[in-house]
Amino acid sequence: MSVDSPSPAPAPPKKPLYEASTQFKHWRYSQESLADVRSKLNEAAVAVIRQTFEAYEPGSSSNVSFLNANEEHLLVTFYVTRITQLCGHFRFPEEVEATAATYLKRFYLKNTVMDWHPKNVMLTALFLATKTTNNPISLEAYTHNIPNTSPSDVLDLEFLIAQSLGFEFAVWHAHRALWGICLTSALQQLPSIPPDYAKSQSSVYDTALNHVRASRLTDAEFLYTPSQIALAAFSLTAPEIAQQWLESKQTLSESSPTKIGSGVLGSIETIKSIIINAGQRPETEAVREVDRRLRLCKNPEKVVGSKAYLARKAEEEKKAEERRSRKVASTGEGVDPFGDELDQPKPSLVDYDDDDDDD
Amino acid sequence: MDAVERENADRQKRWAKEQKVGEGTYAVVYRGREVATNRKIAIKKIKVGQFKDGLDMSAIREVKYLRELKHQNVIELLDVFSSKTNLNLVLEFLDSDLEMIIKDRSLVFLPADIKSWMAMTFRGLEFCHRNHILHRDLKPNNLLTAADGQLKLADFGLARDFADPGHKMTCQVITRWYRPPELLLNARYYGSAVDIWSVGCIFAELMLRIPYLAGDSDINQLDTIFRALGTPTEQEWPGHTKLPNWHQPSTTYPKTPLRDLFTAASADALNLLGKCLVYEPRKRISALEALKHPYFFAIPFPSHPSKLPKCAAQVAVRAAEDAEQANIDQNSTGPGVRAAEPGSRKRKLNSPEEFRARSIARRLDFAKQANSP
Ligand SMILES: Nc1ncnc2c1ncn2[C@@H]1O[C@H](COP(=O)(O)OP(=O)(O)OP(=O)(O)O)[C@@H](O)[C@H]1O
Ligand SMILES: [Mg+2]
Repeated sequence: MSVDSPSPAPAPPKKPLYEASTQFKHWRYSQESLADVRSKLNEAAVAVIRQTFEAYEPGSSSNVSFLNANEEHLLVTFYVTRITQLCGHFRFPEEVEATAATYLKRFYLKNTVMDWHPKNVMLTALFLATKTTNNPISLEAYTHNIPNTSPSDVLDLEFLIAQSLGFEFAVWHAHRALWGICLTSALQQLPSIPPDYAKSQSSVYDTALNHVRASRLTDAEFLYTPSQIALAAFSLTAPEIAQQWLESKQTLSESSPTKIGSGVLGSIETIKSIIINAGQRPETEAVREVDRRLRLCKNPEKVVGSKAYLARKAEEEKKAEERRSRKVASTGEGVDPFGDELDQPKPSLVDYDDDDDDD
Repeated sequence: MDAVERENADRQKRWAKEQKVGEGTYAVVYRGREVATNRKIAIKKIKVGQFKDGLDMSAIREVKYLRELKHQNVIELLDVFSSKTNLNLVLEFLDSDLEMIIKDRSLVFLPADIKSWMAMTFRGLEFCHRNHILHRDLKPNNLLTAADGQLKLADFGLARDFADPGHKMTCQVITRWYRPPELLLNARYYGSAVDIWSVGCIFAELMLRIPYLAGDSDINQLDTIFRALGTPTEQEWPGHTKLPNWHQPSTTYPKTPLRDLFTAASADALNLLGKCLVYEPRKRISALEALKHPYFFAIPFPSHPSKLPKCAAQVAVRAAEDAEQANIDQNSTGPGVRAAEPGSRKRKLNSPEEFRARSIARRLDFAKQANSP
């Protein structure tokens, strides 16, 4: 056998490494906490933007109809479907698409669409995902293929997105878990597996994969583990095999409280109904309506070139200037007990002028 | 200020940056302190603006993997924050590495010391492999040591996951002397065995105190390996002649027992070394198996990390820094004081050449090369 060929799949991991992941630690919610995060974020955003409107033109906020949390969410969901379209266009692997969708959705648990339009965030999230999944493409090639998009449109938001993600780039995906379920169920010779299962297996996988894809339009990934979502998708496709697979797993892993714990059946049913009910592309008309209103209520300070934007920039520049002069004064006037010998900034890798520690 | 910006600013305030301690190919490293506890830390500052494709792949890989990996023998990433156009990685402070220690001719290594370093290396690596992460740049310079003697795998700028066994990967990884034969032959499907080969080379280097398989070019590297370990036969490495970069060598080297070169090593040590340097990647020992190897259970037992040899230069620097810190603490009102200005002056006075020497850009130029799909 040649060495230069794909080796067989490695043994499945023994320990639930997922439970040590940043995803498990930082990105899991209950239905209630998720709704709470979104409504608080929305309320805070509306308050700030209202204030900004008033500051530049008193009375101007009274007839603005701001978006509510559900409307924001609808828009974000719509842009998840745009990621799919773009990935099809670029022929990016599943991993890239799934990762970008997660990034976009996580971003809007920390930010509001009224500050940052999901159209732009989506483009940057996707570009970032190509890199974090080790499928990099040059920025030029990327933007060249997307109409009306310049490299700076993508780069300007990259840092903000990385920050919003808490620099937690690794994502555990349901489609990977699904692959595992399909492999092991085929190997286990469960009673209800039809004799030709091995052959039909790839179509079972494909159908289930479509359910996993639909789940990306829902909140499932914030509420359930990747394996639970995968199992629900599998169960929507081949309910009996899924049932038996689960039973065989549970007897096997009695001692280890793994990803698929007890009480899982109820969860699986809930996920199935989430996928069926929410796993759909939002109505174009509804999206259009929200987007139209967004144009009127977005944060003017984030609209490049607007009066408010320029005012904010000027304010920031003034602060930075003050900081610089403070620094010069403090180093120049012998605060250093040993005298002079200033470190001369030299051209180098990092921005030495960047006085991080000052504020 | 946005919530996200505020959160970033809060993170930033937790860490005080002191003086520069090193420079790599894409980052500058500073010594610093955790403001709340005064614990020593390192801040690796990466300027993002310099890359036309945005956040650079090495930085992304390093952050992605270190964010997930928490293990005693893997360098700990304590925090990440941004400042203007820079990305700052807050790492635990590890001021020495195995390369410095190996090169310090004043140090004597006991067999128990080597065993201890090997055990810590395998433990860290087993954890990475268990998490389906390949390091792909193991070498003495990337095995850092803490003040308490613990060894940690560092520099995850070339790491990647290998969850997908049928996935083509670039063979342009791992510094030449530590690169396994399958990568030298341009294999595009490979696995955790590549890291094991590197560990084998490091093991040998710890015993010899010079790099074991030091080829002077990529082509010569394979010849160097064959010369040392014998030209592989079809039997011991089935299919290797079908690998993309295979050329029938003009000379066929015979196998010479490892014992001829490693005269002082124990039989267990040589047995484990041989298992790391097996030609056929699939027959190479795994990190998990290595940890169960009799070598680690035989006498002498591994040295306690605190008893391991340390670089004299590094010990001196540490003492100087601690004295300096005590000095600053006395004159200050609290632990959050900035020591940057006086610190950087002092550094100049002592300016140990080691710091320069350590900063040799050693990242190979292909490191930034993107994977072809
Ligand atoms: N955690 C740390 N604690 C203390 N010093 C460190 C730490 N990490 C790095 N350094 C110092 O900073 C230098 C540069 O580190 P960095 O990892 O950026 O580069 P490198 O490993 O030397 O080279 P390259 O970037 O080419 O891989 C190191 O050589 C070392 O002297
Ligand atoms: Mg490095």
